[in-house]
Amino acid sequence: MKRYDLIIVGAGPSGLSAAIEAAKRGLEVVVFDENEKPGGQLFKQIHKFFGSKEHKAKIRGFKIGEDLLKEADAAGVKVVLNATVCGMYQDKEITVRINDEMHHYKGDTIIIATGASENMVTFPGWTLPGVIGAGAAQTMMNLHGVKPGSKILMLGSGNVGLVVSFQLIQCGCEVVALVDAAPRVGGYGVHAAKVARTGVPFYLSHTIVKAEGEDHVTGVTIAEVDSSFKFIPGTEKHFDVDTICLAVGLSPMSQLLKMAGCKMEDNPKRGGQVPICDEYGRTSIPGVFVAGDVSGIEEASSAMIEGRMAGIAAAEYLGYIEKEELDSKLEELDAALDGLRQGMFAPKNRGQMIEKTDEGIDISTNLLKKGYVADDEIERFPGVTRAKGIHPVIECTQNIPCNPCQDSCPKKCIKIGANITALPAIDPEATCVGCGMCVASCSGQAIFLVDETYEEGYASITMPYEFLPLPEVGDKGIALGRSGQKVCEAEVVNVRTSPAFDKTHLLTMKVPVEFVMKARFFKKEV
Amino acid sequence: MNSVNDRSRDIGEFVPAPDDDMLICRCEEITKGEIRRAVHDGMWTMTEIRRYLRTGMGLCQGQTCARLVKGIVAKELGISPAELEPATSRAPMRPTEMRILAKEAQD
Amino acid sequence: MSNAADVVIIGGGIIGCSIAYYLAKKGTSVIVLEGSDHIGNGGSSRNGGGVRQSGRDPRELPLVMYGIKNLWPTLSEELEVDCEYHQDGNLRLGKTEKHKQILEGLTERAVKVGLDVRMIDGDEVRKINPYLSEEVTCASWCPTDGHANPLTTTLGYYKMARRLGVRFITGEKVTELKKVKGKLRKVITENNVYEGDTIVVAAGYQSRKIVETVGIDIPMTQNMIECLVTEAEPHMFDQMLGTAEADFYGHQTKHGSFVFGGTSGFEGVNKDNGTPICNSMTASCECRGIMKYFPALADAKIVRTWSGWVDMMVDGVPVLGNVPEVPGLVLAAGFCGHGFGIAPGAAYNIAELITTGTTPVDISALRYDRFKTKI
Repeated sequence: MKRYDLIIVGAGPSGLSAAIEAAKRGLEVVVFDENEKPGGQLFKQIHKFFGSKEHKAKIRGFKIGEDLLKEADAAGVKVVLNATVCGMYQDKEITVRINDEMHHYKGDTIIIATGASENMVTFPGWTLPGVIGAGAAQTMMNLHGVKPGSKILMLGSGNVGLVVSFQLIQCGCEVVALVDAAPRVGGYGVHAAKVARTGVPFYLSHTIVKAEGEDHVTGVTIAEVDSSFKFIPGTEKHFDVDTICLAVGLSPMSQLLKMAGCKMEDNPKRGGQVPICDEYGRTSIPGVFVAGDVSGIEEASSAMIEGRMAGIAAAEYLGYIEKEELDSKLEELDAALDGLRQGMFAPKNRGQMIEKTDEGIDISTNLLKKGYVADDEIERFPGVTRAKGIHPVIECTQNIPCNPCQDSCPKKCIKIGANITALPAIDPEATCVGCGMCVASCSGQAIFLVDETYEEGYASITMPYEFLPLPEVGDKGIALGRSGQKVCEAEVVNVRTSPAFDKTHLLTMKVPVEFVMKARFFKKEV
Repeated sequence: MNSVNDRSRDIGEFVPAPDDDMLICRCEEITKGEIRRAVHDGMWTMTEIRRYLRTGMGLCQGQTCARLVKGIVAKELGISPAELEPATSRAPMRPTEMRILAKEAQD
Repeated sequence: MSNAADVVIIGGGIIGCSIAYYLAKKGTSVIVLEGSDHIGNGGSSRNGGGVRQSGRDPRELPLVMYGIKNLWPTLSEELEVDCEYHQDGNLRLGKTEKHKQILEGLTERAVKVGLDVRMIDGDEVRKINPYLSEEVTCASWCPTDGHANPLTTTLGYYKMARRLGVRFITGEKVTELKKVKGKLRKVITENNVYEGDTIVVAAGYQSRKIVETVGIDIPMTQNMIECLVTEAEPHMFDQMLGTAEADFYGHQTKHGSFVFGGTSGFEGVNKDNGTPICNSMTASCECRGIMKYFPALADAKIVRTWSGWVDMMVDGVPVLGNVPEVPGLVLAAGFCGHGFGIAPGAAYNIAELITTGTTPVDISALRYDRFKTKI
């Protein structure tokens, strides 16, 4: 039986990261993944990631996956695909199905990085075809090029629900409503805002009463819920839909650990059944580590750091590095992880109602309840200023760990500072040249270039635009406000595309100047 | 995690609910009402529910319904879901043909 | 709530649950103490579901025959649960001359006790079950054997006993038994003390440790064996199957899945980690074994494998009945991996023994003090 220094189960962001760190330190590493392509969920993440430069911020997820694969290849990691790990047994032995055979392998160390699966919620009709996970919809669209449906209702306002809603719109679907039983939007406000301004209504404190249809979904009824999540009679709303997407959380896929006898716990804070482990992924079985969502639901950026930690810990466990190197590397990674786990959405703040930003500004209540910042709320944030000539308007209103905009501006107009969760502010001394780099750099698509003196009586607004077909100069249409409602007529006056923008197009429309702080999206007249 | 569990504790009567006919375990087609009734028949652990009703014993091995069943059982018992034991995991992780399991590679 | 009852049963497997049920039916007050967190957590929920007489030792055969005649046919109605009992016969298959000799010996001994079982040839085997391969050349055929669902049957006994007022307590590990004034009375657990006029020990392999505290030894060891189950398949056959070689056994369930148990040769030495855990090689071995008999099942998908401990008595049959030197102690343990089919019969007889002092079936061959050295 072949024995490796390190066997990794799962070639997603954490598994590959672990493999790279271990292989770089001399371990013979193999990674098994049951899918035909490596990268886990990264290859369906077509949006730009948040974070700082070290966290690969503003890089699209699939590109991060490609980079990881290159790095793993260079480090000598062996990645075996279409390889289903079927069982994990005593003595750190696994069985792997490859083609039509079962293979037995042993690892002196094993890292389980199997990720998570989607949760479901029940309501009458939840088993009808057409009720699908949001992640499944994302896989259909972004990996297989299949449109999940035409008219879709999304349940769940966490980042998954918001990001997938946006991608569904990109894919040409109509998202009729975004619904969540919670009273507040769960994900980043900027993700919500970019969905809301396209015209998707948000229904917070609402959930699904029933899915309708005989042999597939033809409609859905939602209703408002009270503070104990009971339906309020008379608040029912019906939508004709063919698809209902559920984005109601993830559960760790920890079965291999459980069957091997790892001590487990049911920890709602970590997303369900997880192994009991320390912060570097060491489980109750010596030499067995975990990394990524399987050890507690977070997101890809932290999974990559956790993977690196586990890979280095495995190297030290097998004597490939000394304790000192382990400690210093872990300290470095701890700091990086800590950076990601800051701000309003940090794990430690889960379930807490935060009313003010770190700067002491009241959080937009509209953003939390309706998905967009109201016109009378927006100007209190430091990124939103009025000035003569072209200048950025940064509608970033929550403390999240993200700072690419600061570095993107060649003229140093944007200030965040050392604390990456601080709200970006405009430096009044610096002069904007309208290059648009900040607009394209913002993973939250929250930066606009505004020129109130564009033409007599007209202002120009430049926005990030990631939909096809791309409008052309001269196209006439309507400008939508942050709420997705029509505010005025608009005309496209410029469309910029550049490799530096990384597939985010910069669309400039002109609107009557009085709507300059209201109009935030362009919709072509048809 | 053995803890003394007196199965004579009064958990109240079974009260029918309008959504009792809703499917919870889709692989084995077990309804919410069946799960709730099983609790009143004395099945107070996830293991007992699973063995009594087959919830989570189908093709997906409980990947979809384990959390849902747990919530229903916990509610019926008046306890937190975290107090119920973690679901059992058994090889193979994916359904595997007998001829493939039978063929062990020599490497 | 009082910790005293007429009878305290140690062990909440099918033996403990069914004894509790038959006692409660007769108005006896019963407490059942189960050491694990779940009812039926040992072999009761992990076995292959055989309800079979053929192939058994003549010492225990009358008990299972009693159950199949008097209890099994109406058990589903009685327990208000679908026990999925099928009485469609048992084929014990052979492929070689040696197998034939083994089967003939078993058949001859069973016929002597009055069981309807006979040898048949390969062609007759395939008339009964056309899916069997040409490799099968002979079998013993017992038409009154069958199979049932061990999960629902065990938990069905529990449910009905509980409904009749039996107090079940799980997670209650027994550490010691204690005599009071010459008679066994107290059951001491990690947390509590229980008292009964009669104490039944039906705790599988754990029974040995428990009765050791009153100076009794049950000569047994522990084996770990495995089972597997396929996804649901179209209906193929209803017989219970076994082999002379004892390489696999099993049946198709009502659900459509095939439940098969089997052996790899490592049963006596398989190691665990505190809980039964599958060996990495056993399932593959079982599949190879099964496919030799049922080539048609090669594409059936295995969805689950599991393992369980078997309490193996030195002479292959359980200890059952009173222990005169410890008045009040009743043993019902050591069923050696074939305790499911025999459970109703054994339990009914033990309940009769406790309540009336006699049993419908003579169980004296299963006495606790039957063990003798070989020379």
